[in-house]
Amino acid sequence: MKNIFRKFKMRMILLFGIVGPGIIAANADNDAGGIATLSTVGAHFGTSMLWVLLLITFSLAITQEMGVRIGLVTRQGLAGLIRENFGIRWTAFAMILMLIANMGTVTAEFAGVASALSLVGLNKYIVVPLAALGVWFILYKGSFKTTQKIFLIFSSFYIVYIINAFIIGPDFGQAVKDAFTPHLEFTTPFLMTMIALIGTTITPWGQFFIQSYVVDKGLALKDYKAEKTEVYIGAFITDIVSFFIIISTAATLYVHGIRIDDAADAAIALQPLVGEAAEFLFAFGLFSASMLGAFILPTATSYSICEAFGWESGFDTTWKNGKIFYGIILVSIVVPAALVLIPGIDLIKIMIWSQDMNGILLPFILIFVMKIINNKEIMGEYTNKPIGNIVAWITIIGLIAATVVLVVASFLGLN
Amino acid sequence: MAYVKMVKTVNSLNGMPYLSQLLDNKIMDSADTVIGRLEDILVMPKPNEYVPLEFLVVKVKGKKEFDYIPYEYVETFTSNEISLKFLAKKIPFQKTVDEKFLHLRKHVFDQQIVDLSGARVVRVNDLRIGNFSGEMCVLGIDVSTKGLLRRLKIEWLDLFDLLKVHLIDWREAQPLQGSLKLDKVVENLQHLHPADLANIIEDLNMKHRNNLVQSLGAQNAANVFEEVTPELQKILIKHWGPRKSSRILSQVSAEEIADLMKTLPEDEAQTFISYLKDNKAKNVKTLIEYEDDTAGGLMTTDFVSAHLDWTIVRAINEVKKLSNTLRSIVYIYVIDDKGIFCGPVSMRTLLISSHRKKLSSLVKDFSISSVLHPEYKLDKIIEIMTKYDLYTSAVVDENNKLLGVVSIDDIMRHLFPHA
Repeated sequence: MKNIFRKFKMRMILLFGIVGPGIIAANADNDAGGIATLSTVGAHFGTSMLWVLLLITFSLAITQEMGVRIGLVTRQGLAGLIRENFGIRWTAFAMILMLIANMGTVTAEFAGVASALSLVGLNKYIVVPLAALGVWFILYKGSFKTTQKIFLIFSSFYIVYIINAFIIGPDFGQAVKDAFTPHLEFTTPFLMTMIALIGTTITPWGQFFIQSYVVDKGLALKDYKAEKTEVYIGAFITDIVSFFIIISTAATLYVHGIRIDDAADAAIALQPLVGEAAEFLFAFGLFSASMLGAFILPTATSYSICEAFGWESGFDTTWKNGKIFYGIILVSIVVPAALVLIPGIDLIKIMIWSQDMNGILLPFILIFVMKIINNKEIMGEYTNKPIGNIVAWITIIGLIAATVVLVVASFLGLN
Repeated sequence: MAYVKMVKTVNSLNGMPYLSQLLDNKIMDSADTVIGRLEDILVMPKPNEYVPLEFLVVKVKGKKEFDYIPYEYVETFTSNEISLKFLAKKIPFQKTVDEKFLHLRKHVFDQQIVDLSGARVVRVNDLRIGNFSGEMCVLGIDVSTKGLLRRLKIEWLDLFDLLKVHLIDWREAQPLQGSLKLDKVVENLQHLHPADLANIIEDLNMKHRNNLVQSLGAQNAANVFEEVTPELQKILIKHWGPRKSSRILSQVSAEEIADLMKTLPEDEAQTFISYLKDNKAKNVKTLIEYEDDTAGGLMTTDFVSAHLDWTIVRAINEVKKLSNTLRSIVYIYVIDDKGIFCGPVSMRTLLISSHRKKLSSLVKDFSISSVLHPEYKLDKIIEIMTKYDLYTSAVVDENNKLLGVVSIDDIMRHLFPHA
């Protein structure tokens, strides 16, 4: 009996073990910035951007797989590798980019908390400081893992979008057609939204996160196949969810010409499923997704920076030794929270702009990844295959090109 | 101590450069003709010594390969000027050098090193170079934020000079990469306490961790292994696989192994156990079967047992023999031919009794209800040990065969696992 129980316990541990980096990263990808961006994509442009989503599913799978592979071969985080192979100046450059992108994302998370709770009538001047305090308190008191799991489970609320979509019964034929028909508009709003869509799906922090994860778990090359599969599944799940959020909002908001100006507008998309309770359900989902991101990002940021510069890190270090580690976490909680508290600031725009920032900065981080993964001295026989290189470079060049076109379009005032 | 001395040496050498201030500077010959730029510097590392600079690596414009100049041809070596003693044509440039040399830029800059005095892992931001008994040597490793700013050439950011340089004495540091032979590193590391070594290992990346643990002797490695976190223990044995692990596990206590095996899936645990020696494997298997909070789960199988017929002298010799491997010895446990537990004898009794006496004469009647059975729960164990005023208590099976010993220490560890 005892043995049966132990076996059962082992099975459960294994099962949760499989819910590994790919799926966690995937779930955290659809955070506050993600949900705002995806809702906007569907509400403002219908299903016309689905082709981008289809393409970046491959990009996501391949970039995440590269992160896993580098982690397994080098047994080291991306930040440390950049430091050891590109010297200090490039490291400072990469770390500044990552810090900006991550601070942007944390700002989006707090904006998410503020918008979610505004739906249930709570004032942002109260909830944002409380959320920031809560995040710090839980991180510092060390129930990080449990908290992460709780919010991870909560944030799987996205499944409701899938059910919702089937209840609406949208035009799946059109959606599939759009997924295979590239469509571009040379206007600022279209390009902004498109870059945000890419930036919310493939993120700089996700690249650092996945690699640190496999290293910290002590996974080895023999786990490569399992991890690769897991990462592919994660990428697929992320984008399936994205797909359904887009078609839900397209079928409810886009068709009626409703634009998303605040969270209440985005919540309308869930009305077919739960009617009047839509706002409440949306608030709950957005809140947990935001909190999950708000927990993971400041810590992940601080770990990477400390790894690169050799500062002591980890919650088991004392305040005296870990000044910088704790300092970075505090700054990346306090500054974003303060930004959200600026009176009259547009919360939805913050969420989307932060994803744009991620999308614009991503190519530079990916270039480091590409240099590392194609270096035989580092990767041995595990360098990239041509297909991986092609997809990754297309992503990088595509993003840079889109950014350049965006800048040109906004200068020309193409709205 | 070493650090204080270090600061003095460096202060008396004001104006001596940091490596970052030298690299990529022009190198000139005695006629002030530029022959190239400083790419790197080579040294031959030795443990616990400042090592002199041996070669300059020169990048000559338009040439792919580097040239190597022996350091003895250098006239001036400062951040303002690097010049040579002779004309370029009179200097024996070398095209290759011994692979054993350590490249300061390539192998030490930006890498992780072990700071032996602080027993921690740090990253190299810069290197302090200076004169030591007439030779240019690497004296210190700058691991401070100030060094970071210097490397980035943004030292002016520290407007009010708030940041302090923190140098680690070169002799107190061990690079983990490059051609420095690992056994030399280990020679130095052996002096650290296993708990400090465990901290270092927790901070390293997997490759360095693995090299380090593997290169310690099995006994040392096992001591360190027992000190690292359970999560890392799991990572390490999974990384090594059963065969390699068994070398170190054979020196680790059976309880520790059993606790570790409980966290693995059953079939994996079986494989690891099958590579252990018969005796150890048996002990581990017995321990695994018991729940953590029972006498069986708490007990250790490492204790001194002695036969009823032994003389006191023989028993004392047995204690001496096993003393190295056991954490504490308060009692010895006397058994008969069949392994039936006959009673404990305290060290005190052993010491004061006549040497020729037999153990059988010392074993007192003991209450049968003062021994534990493996399935006893924690409450019951505490109750019994409190009632009979015991520091340790024997655990026996249904036939009174001796299985192990539970000590107050084991109970404390169970109640306060993180203390």
